[in-house]
Amino acid sequence: MSESAVRTAGLAASICYAALIVWVYAHQPQSLAEVSGGLTASIGAYQIDQAAFDEGLRLFRGDQFEAARAAFERADPAHKDARTQFYIAYSFYREGWGRFYDDDRLFALGVEAADRAIALAPHGTLREDDPDLMMHTPDELRAELQAGLRNDSSDMNPLAVLRKRK
Amino acid sequence: MTAAREAAYLPLAFLTVALLGGVRIGSHMALVPPSLYSLILSLMLLGVLINAGALAPERLMNARRSGLANMSGFVVLLTLFFASAQAFTLVTPESGLPHLIVCVFLLTLLLNTLAAGADRVRTLRSLLVVFGSAFILKFIVLAALSEQTGGRLKRMLLVLLEGVTLGTLTQDVLHPATGYLAFFTLALFLGGLAMLPGGHDGRKEKA
Repeated sequence: MSESAVRTAGLAASICYAALIVWVYAHQPQSLAEVSGGLTASIGAYQIDQAAFDEGLRLFRGDQFEAARAAFERADPAHKDARTQFYIAYSFYREGWGRFYDDDRLFALGVEAADRAIALAPHGTLREDDPDLMMHTPDELRAELQAGLRNDSSDMNPLAVLRKRK
Repeated sequence: MTAAREAAYLPLAFLTVALLGGVRIGSHMALVPPSLYSLILSLMLLGVLINAGALAPERLMNARRSGLANMSGFVVLLTLFFASAQAFTLVTPESGLPHLIVCVFLLTLLLNTLAAGADRVRTLRSLLVVFGSAFILKFIVLAALSEQTGGRLKRMLLVLLEGVTLGTLTQDVLHPATGYLAFFTLALFLGGLAMLPGGHDGRKEKA
């Protein structure tokens, strides 16, 4: 192999490696699935596991939220699909919702997932026309979760026990 | 120096150091970019290496070389700079009094090495000691102090130490894998420094 070929190959490898490092530092992936998912998403080739998503949806509608989230995680391991992240956020909302008080930990996780859904949605908008849901956009869901996390005088309102889960 | 070492081995080794040097495995995995201070230390380290003859930039870039060869040399210098910055960030505690002390410690040792004008071998040995001692301090001593588990005596001593240092001693607890990764990263970095092209005339080699 000639010297110039070695230098050209080394230079190309270094540039690609450096670009990968910059991408990894900018995106802060938490797992190898997120790395591969992020890279495929950046070239528009990322696809969720549709069978796992459908399974998650079935479990979600059956109020088995923890199991539904496990299925949604399998469907979208890289956290790159807005619709799946919306359903994950919704599952945190429904599981954390309570007539007397909400589970702040689950609501906080729900806000994180809703933020991901908003960030991933094309042009920042996503509308899920699922008749089983009472909130159809991540923005509505996020606002509801944020309201649940807020501590104010409305928490003392006795009529709050009459509210309905959305 | 062979073309493969200059164009491939050294840049890829230093880029690996730049990548792994920022990995912190705690409750979540985080990738920490180099701090501004570590960039300054990195620049100083380049000065130390050049002064000691451990790095000869004129062998990497000069008017007699082809454009491609000069580009390879430039990539080596650039990746060395970022790898050094990440190596300094890696061995510096994240917060509190230990962070301040290690920052001053690293600056003083680099200035001392620069002023001493040691040769290549002694400078590389000195850097091994600097990075090794900072590694031990952060990943063994401070990690043990920051660990929440332990007997009553350890906890009492910790409370006393925390009182003396106004609560700025303990650090965020990192997963043990971070320490192993840091060890590998520093070994790769120091190996890369040893592979750098030194001065042709053997300046300071016999000093």
